[in-house]
Formats: sequence, C-alpha cells, structure tokens
Amino acid sequence: MEKKSVSVTLEHVTKRFRNVKGKADVIAVNDSDFVIEPGELVTLLGPSGCGKTTTLRMIAGFELPTEGRILIGDQDVTMLPPNKRDTATMFQSYGLFPHMTVFDNVAYGLKLRKVDKAEIKTRVDEMLNLLGLGDLGERPPSRLSGGQQQRVALARSLIVAPSVLLLDEPLSNLDALLREQMRVEIKKIQRALGITAVYVTHDRTEAMSLSDRVIVMKNGVIRQIGTPSEIYQSPDSRFVAGFVGKAAFFPVTIKGHDGEHYKADLGGKIVDVKHAAPGLGEGKAVIMARPESLRIKGKGEGSIEGRVKLNVYLGSAIESFVDTPLGEVLVEIDDPYGRKIYSEGEEVSIDFAPDRVRLLGESEE
Amino acid sequence: MFTKKKIIQFLVIALLFISAVLWIYHQLSVSFTEYADERNYREIELFADTAPSELDEDSATEWLATVSDMIPGARSAYLIYDEDLFDFVPLAGSPAILSLFESERESNAFVRALDSCYYLEPMVMSTLYTVDYSLDSDSLVSEAAPSQLYFIPVADESGAFTIGAIMIAVPDTAVSGYENLMRTLLIGATVLFLVIAFILMFTRDPMTGFLVLGLFIIVGLFVAFPIFEAIRLSFIRNGRFSLQTWKECLSPTYLQALWGSLKLGVLTATFSTLVGFLFAFLIERTSFKAKKLMTTLATMPVISPPFSLSLSIILLFGNNGLISKQILHLDASIYGLGGLVLVETIGMFPIAFMTLSGILRQIDSTVEDAALDLSATRWQAFCTVTLPLAVPGILSAWLLVFTNSLADFANPLLLSGDYRVLSTEAYMLVTGRNNLGAGSALSFLLLLPTLTAFLAQRFWVSRKSYVTVTGKPSTTLTDLTNRPVRIALETVSWLIMSFILILYVTIVAGCFVKNWGIDYTFTLANWGEALSRGWTAIRDTVTLAAIATPIAGILAMVAAMLIVRKKFPGKRLLEILIMTPYAIPGTLIGISYILAFNKPPILLVGTGAIIVINYVIRELPVGVENGIAALHQIDPAIEEAASDLGADVNTVFRTIVLPLVRPAFISSMSYTFVRSMTAVSAIIFLISARWNHLTVLIFNFSENLRFGLASVLSTVLIAIVLAVFFLMNAIVRDGKLTEKTISTR
Repeated sequence: MEKKSVSVTLEHVTKRFRNVKGKADVIAVNDSDFVIEPGELVTLLGPSGCGKTTTLRMIAGFELPTEGRILIGDQDVTMLPPNKRDTATMFQSYGLFPHMTVFDNVAYGLKLRKVDKAEIKTRVDEMLNLLGLGDLGERPPSRLSGGQQQRVALARSLIVAPSVLLLDEPLSNLDALLREQMRVEIKKIQRALGITAVYVTHDRTEAMSLSDRVIVMKNGVIRQIGTPSEIYQSPDSRFVAGFVGKAAFFPVTIKGHDGEHYKADLGGKIVDVKHAAPGLGEGKAVIMARPESLRIKGKGEGSIEGRVKLNVYLGSAIESFVDTPLGEVLVEIDDPYGRKIYSEGEEVSIDFAPDRVRLLGESEE
Repeated sequence: MFTKKKIIQFLVIALLFISAVLWIYHQLSVSFTEYADERNYREIELFADTAPSELDEDSATEWLATVSDMIPGARSAYLIYDEDLFDFVPLAGSPAILSLFESERESNAFVRALDSCYYLEPMVMSTLYTVDYSLDSDSLVSEAAPSQLYFIPVADESGAFTIGAIMIAVPDTAVSGYENLMRTLLIGATVLFLVIAFILMFTRDPMTGFLVLGLFIIVGLFVAFPIFEAIRLSFIRNGRFSLQTWKECLSPTYLQALWGSLKLGVLTATFSTLVGFLFAFLIERTSFKAKKLMTTLATMPVISPPFSLSLSIILLFGNNGLISKQILHLDASIYGLGGLVLVETIGMFPIAFMTLSGILRQIDSTVEDAALDLSATRWQAFCTVTLPLAVPGILSAWLLVFTNSLADFANPLLLSGDYRVLSTEAYMLVTGRNNLGAGSALSFLLLLPTLTAFLAQRFWVSRKSYVTVTGKPSTTLTDLTNRPVRIALETVSWLIMSFILILYVTIVAGCFVKNWGIDYTFTLANWGEALSRGWTAIRDTVTLAAIATPIAGILAMVAAMLIVRKKFPGKRLLEILIMTPYAIPGTLIGISYILAFNKPPILLVGTGAIIVINYVIRELPVGVENGIAALHQIDPAIEEAASDLGADVNTVFRTIVLPLVRPAFISSMSYTFVRSMTAVSAIIFLISARWNHLTVLIFNFSENLRFGLASVLSTVLIAIVLAVFFLMNAIVRDGKLTEKTISTR
C-alpha cells in the first residue's frame, strides 16, 4: 500500500451545465485554479449549489470540465474516464452495491485489478479489521448501521490504494456522535496512508477539524483558500467570515492608518484595529469580531454600549446575547468562573482588543 | 477535447481511409466488369452453339428468346446473310435490337462488325450502345439502358461460310447493380469506420460510444430504414414518382375502412374503459370477495394469443355456434361490428383495468374519507372527488385501448365478416394482390389516428395526472354501503368474469369435440392431427421467441442504462426511434420489413432472423421503459462507485446494473417471450415456408373451419405462455433483492 503521494492541480477549470430549451447556461464552477499538495487534506467548503461537489466530480472524472485542465501528479487526466484515474470516491450516499456482501463490496476493486483470490482474501480481511468491520464480511450492506455502511464505503475506496481520495460529504448521513468519531478516524487513516484527499462538506466544524487547508466556495467561485486558522481568523470577506464561524459585524468608517493600527470611526468613537482584509482603503467598512474575541465590560468602559438580553450556559463557556444599537451581538465568555458575569438586563458595554478583530469590506458578499 | 492536432490527425486518417476505399472500389469494379464481359462472352458462344439447324422466322424467334435464360436481361436478334445482296438482313429477334440495328447499320462500327462476322470472326463492340428496352420490356429492364453489343457469326455446316450473325445486347444493369451494391457497402463501411475513429479519438469513454453506435445501427436499420422504405415506395409506381398509390388509398372504399376502424376503436375503447374501471374500482376501493380471481381473469386476455378469444366466440356464437345455433336457434351472425366490439372489449379491457387500478391506487383514499367526513354521500364523494381525480387515468386508458383496437389485426381477420377495417384491408392488398406499396400506404393511413392517440396519451394526458398531496398515503376500504348498488356492480362483474371463463373453457372443450357445431362426440383425434401438423410450427415459434427473448432483454437494459445515465448527442432521437415501434401498427411494421429486406444489401425475407429481429424491435420499447423506471430507483452513486474503482462501462453493466435491475430485466424478458409467442400482425407478413408461426397456423385452421385443430393449438400455446409467464414471475419474486437501494439522501 506504500505509494508516493501525488498532487492534484486544477488549472483554470470552468464547468458550465448547458441548459436546454434556450435557457442560460449554469456556471457551476468558475475558473477554479489551485494546487493540492501531496498528502494534503483539502476541504471544499460552501453552501449547497456552490460547485464544491461538481469540482470533486471533475477530479473523479464523472464530469468533464468545460474549460481548463486537471492534473493528478504530472499526468493530465482531464480526458480520462473515472475508471482510468487513480482516484477513489466516497459518496454521500455511499453507493454500496446492495446485491453484494460487505466482503464482495470491498473486494470489488481488487477483482477488477485481477488480484488473485488468496491475496484478495487477506487484503480485504486486513482492511475490514482495520476499520472494525472484521466480523461483518458476509452481511449484505442493507443490514448494517449507518456508521458501518460508511466504513464499508471507506474500506472499499481505500483498498485499491488510490493516489487521491475524494470524499463527498461522507458524514452527512450519520448522527452527531458518530460523525465526530468518523471524522477523527478518516483523518487518522488519511495521515497514516499519506493519501492526498479532497473533502467536500458544508459543515464548517468538519472542515475546520479535518483539513490542512480549506477552500471556501460560493456560486462556483473560490472565495478564499487557507489553513483553517487563516480562514477563521483572517477571512477576506464577510461571506467567508460568516460562513466559517459566528461573527458580529460593526459598520465603521476607516479614517486612516497610523503605521500600526487602522483608525476606524465606530458610531462616533475612534477605535484601533490592527488587521484588515487586503486592498481596504479609507471609507466605509465593517469590523468583524468573533464571539470569543469580544469582552463584556461595565457600562461606559467599552466601545459599544448595550444591555444583556440572554445568557446561555454551555458548561465550558457562556454565550451572552447583548442588545446594542448595532443589533444583537453574541459574546462568548470563556472560563466563566474566573470572570464577572453580567446578569440579564444589566447595562454593559462591549470591547475588543485591536489585534483580535479584522476590518472587512462592507459588502455582504 | 477538439484540439487542432487531433482534428488534423482525424482528417488525415479519414483521407487515407477514403482513398484506400476508392482504390478498392475501382479495382473491384474494373475486375468485375472484365469478369462479367468474359463470362457473358462465354455464355454467348454457348448460346450460339444452341442454334437450331433449320432457321426460319418462327424457330429463330423462339430460340432467340431463350438468350435471357442464359444471360439475365439480354436480348438478341438474328441477321441472315443474303448472298444476293452481299449483306446481312434481319430475320427475327427482339424489336429493341432490330430498331437499333436499323438506325446504326450504316455506322462505321456496325459495318466493321458485320464485315468481321462475314469472315467468321465474332465482334465485341468497344462502346456501349443505348438500347430502348421499352419496345420489348421484361422484369429486369424496361427502359432505355446502355448495353454491351456482341456480334456472333453463324457458319454453315462446313464451317467455312457465313450464313448469318447473332446480335446480342446485354444491358449494363447487371454490372451497375453490382456496382451499386458495392458502393452502398463501401460507403457504409467508410461511414462506420469514420464514426468509430471519431469515437476513439474524440470521446473519453469509447465503450459508451460504441454501445450508442451499436444501438443507433440497430434502430436505424430495423426501425428507421424500413419505415423510410415504406414511405418511399408508397410514392413510387412503375419505377417513377407517383401519387397514384395514395390516390387509390384515399378512395371511398378505403376511407370507409378507415371509418370502420375508427368506429370500432371508439366503441371498443369506451366499453373497455367502462369494464376496466368497474374492475379496478371493485379491487381498489371495495371489499369485493373474489379479487384474486378477478385479477387472474383480467390478466388472461393479455397473455393469451389474439385468435383464441375470436375462436371461442365463433365456437359459441358463430354460424354454427353452440349457443347461437344449438341452444337458441338464432340466425343472427356474430361476424361484423358487434362481434368485433365484444371480442376486442374482452381482449383489451385489461389494458384499461391495469392503467386505472394504478391510478386509483395512487389516489389516497383519505381524500374520499375527507369528503365523506364533510357529509357527502358515497355517491357524491365518488362524483366530486374520485371521478375527477381519475379523469386523466380514464382518458389515458381510453386512448391506449383505442390505439390497440386500431392496430388490432387478429380479431378483425377472423370476425370482421363484411365489416371492413384498415389493418385487414392492408393485409388483403399485400397477400391477395401483392400490392405492397398500397398496403403500406393503407397502413400509414391507419398510423395517423394511432399515432395521434398515442402521442396524446403520452405527452398530454399522462402529464395531467394529479398527485395527491399527503403525508402518508393510506388506502382504507370504505365499503359500498348502498346494497342495491353493490349488488348491481358485483353482479355485472360476475357476469363478465363468467363470460371470460366460459370463453376459455370453450377453447379447451373445442379440443375434445369431433366436429364442433355438428357432432359433439368426445374425441382425442384432434390432438394427434394438430400436434403432428403443428409440431414444426410449435418448435419454430418457441425457438424464435426463445432466441429473441434474451436479446431483447439485454438490449433493453443496455439502452435504458445509456438513456438514463449517459450523456451523448442524439439521445432524444435514439429514444424516439426505440419507442417508435410501440406506436405504429404491427401491420405497417410487417409490410415495411418485407419492403426493406427483400433485396440486397440486407436480404432477410424468408429467414428466421427477420422474425427474431421483428420480435426484438417490437418488444424493445416496453423493456426499455421498464429498465428506465428501474434505473431511476437506483442511486447513481452505486454505478459511479463501480466505475471509480476501475470498472469500464461493460463491467459496470454486467456486475452492477444487470443484477440490480434484475426484476425489470426478467419481467421484460417474460413480456417479450409472451408477446412474441402470441404475435400476429407483423409476423403474418414475415413467415415463410421454412419458418412458420403457431398463431398463423391457428388462424389458418380457424379460417378453414378446422376448429378442433385450432382449439388444440390455442390450448398448447396458452399452456406454454402461462408456464413461462408464471415461471418468470416466480423467479422475480424469489429474488433476494427486496431492497433496491440501501441508502437515501
């Protein structure tokens, strides 16, 4: 199973779906251009219909790009059919063969590769054991639980030792607890085998926790590529900021930059902000603040005045919903036992450190 | 995909291939011409040797006429050497040649040829002469055609002196016919090669391309081409374009037959829909006791051969029928519209029944309960809720039966009497008067209403169906509370059911009766005679149907997979071509097959292959529809997973698709088998001395009033069909695959 990891490259890939009867074409993927490094796990993240699954299906070969090239390693695979590509896909619906046993499902790829019977047996058993399916080999897939089906699908993809593993929302049909387990399991196996992997999801937690890098897409366009922390802490747009995590946006006017901080006019008060999205000049903008980077202080002490509306106790933290003239703002208070908690109805103010928030363009996009 | 380099490569390959083909064509045609000349020359020398010793005008004419036996299409004339004139003068022969001789005799070439004959040297003219064969036409040539001329001297007994010369013209058509055929084949091969090269070079999944190409070739050859030929030939009379055929077909006699077909169709459709609705309603909405029996009796007419019902109607109500004559002593005749409506209604109401019970099952009975709950009476609920919801289904059932009745051929053939319908008129034209063109024109006349009804059902009515919007559909049986209504409905349906039962019992009874209508003594003699005379037909029918069944089944599933899962240009066209045979009457298919396949390049008439092909093509639509419906149930990810793991299209089909659509696969095979075994309308044109069909034999026996034999063969046929039908059903039900897909989104 030892295999050299390969990269996946998309060069200006565009996919248009021709719409019959004179309607306009639908551009599912617009000029995607990125490289996935060998052994890397990259997540395509975005709302439904953003083109992330189409991108995955083009890498797998189920769809043909309208323009552009796709390379796996150095090989141009744009025109290769799926069966000639060294990729393995895990489908959202698993696509298990209902007329075969678990064993035959997993053995399918090996049989096609004309591996001899004895070796198939050892390799499949090995794989089933690895994924904790050891004693389920003779069952039909319909008599497995969701998590087990999911693992059979994973086993079936992994046994052919693909260079690239493609995962299309593989966890969306599982319940929350199982999802967390499988997430870790997938990550471990991917790391252990050093397979380049592309993971499609609309679940930001999944994306954050699994990926080496995240590609955020919307309406077929790549909005931002970066490590989970880059995407979370330094989004380039309100859309990305809002999609990958909870965020409050305060409209401001940028007055200038003093060499270290931007000077922003927040409802009459001038506040300092250290970071800003690239290309932002003087004029209207918003401050993006994550709930955990905001602090609640006494009335008049912070930048934005407000009143506590609701406190939600989460155990390790408390979420405080504060009514302000700029709308409802969520503040997350970590380590609630070491801090002062303002009770519901109290007049408070909200403050933030200049380096924990970020200036973004005011456009909602 | 279309890179410049590839396009240039493709063009170069195409150019090379085309020039190779042209070279081959040239070589072949030159060598064939040489060969033909040589052979003709030998034949002519042989012919010259057969000259009678005493030549006068009569014996010469007789002898000269035999030349066309040796060389097809050849004409000859005899020129006698007149020693007084020192010249050859015509004695006898074909007027076509003699007129040419008169006009050309002064030409240098002719003078030289005659001189050469004088010195006993035969002469083959170096150029072709146009001979006007209309002066002396036969089946091969009837117009002016370029011909090769031969001058053969005839010597006296000593062999030293010329006494005459034979002049022979061989029309070039033999050669040009060969050239035409070769041209067609080579062009076909070239196109095929180019398409294959194109698929290999420009598509990324050549296997799919080849499957699509294969399907296109099949439907192109066996659906589009015959219909095209039928249309073309209906416009041709005596080798020229003419509207004569159509004018004759639109004459009052045939329009009356069209009217007859329409009237029969409307009546049959109306009665069938009524009966079908009654049955469907009783089964789906009430606690009627004998639902199983009812369903079985409603299935029987679908799978039994089309003649069987007409046969038992004749046995019971015919001129010598058991009920009409022996019991009631009536003189009324069952032949004609009344009998036809009766027999077609019994035979076709199952179509309406199946459509309507499907529709009624879909209508959630809670909507009726809701109406009752809002204090409607049962009757009001029926009129205001059930009936309006079922209207699209009723229309659809009506149109389906109407289409079937128009296309029906078997029943009118036996029962129409003086009543005229188009399908049988077309048959009479073809078999009685050998007028294929008119037969096909008549079938097209029939196609118009059939196609209209089919398209209306397909694209208009079936889209209007209501979907009841509910959470969980349920079917509760709200029994008919009104006793008189219930009793009336149940009585009517019991009567109909008993009637159907009696019809089938009659057939069986007919097997054991010495001479129905005259002598009702028990006998087994019919069995011996029927089986000995029908044995080959039974064997042929079963063999051919058994060959067609798996072909149709696999072809249907492949086509369904391509249509549902693959994208390719011309998909819509392929679908239409595959579905076409479903909409057009069998008579038309049969006639168009004879027209298209009785000549090269595809000579199939008289073979078993044409029958098998016809079965496959005619039953393909239903199989494809079954396959499409089954594939829609299957998560595409299952097939994608297989291809992702390295399976090509064939492997995906073999290891994934076929096992998953097994129920649809088997049921379309059983459908194909049953329908092939009971086919009449197209098959009756395609059978030959070598390949007979059981249904046609049954028809022949019935027509010759050998009812005992017809009954035996019908019983045998029904038994075979039932056995296969239930066997296949058992296989489907036995399947381990209760769940088709295991995952849902």
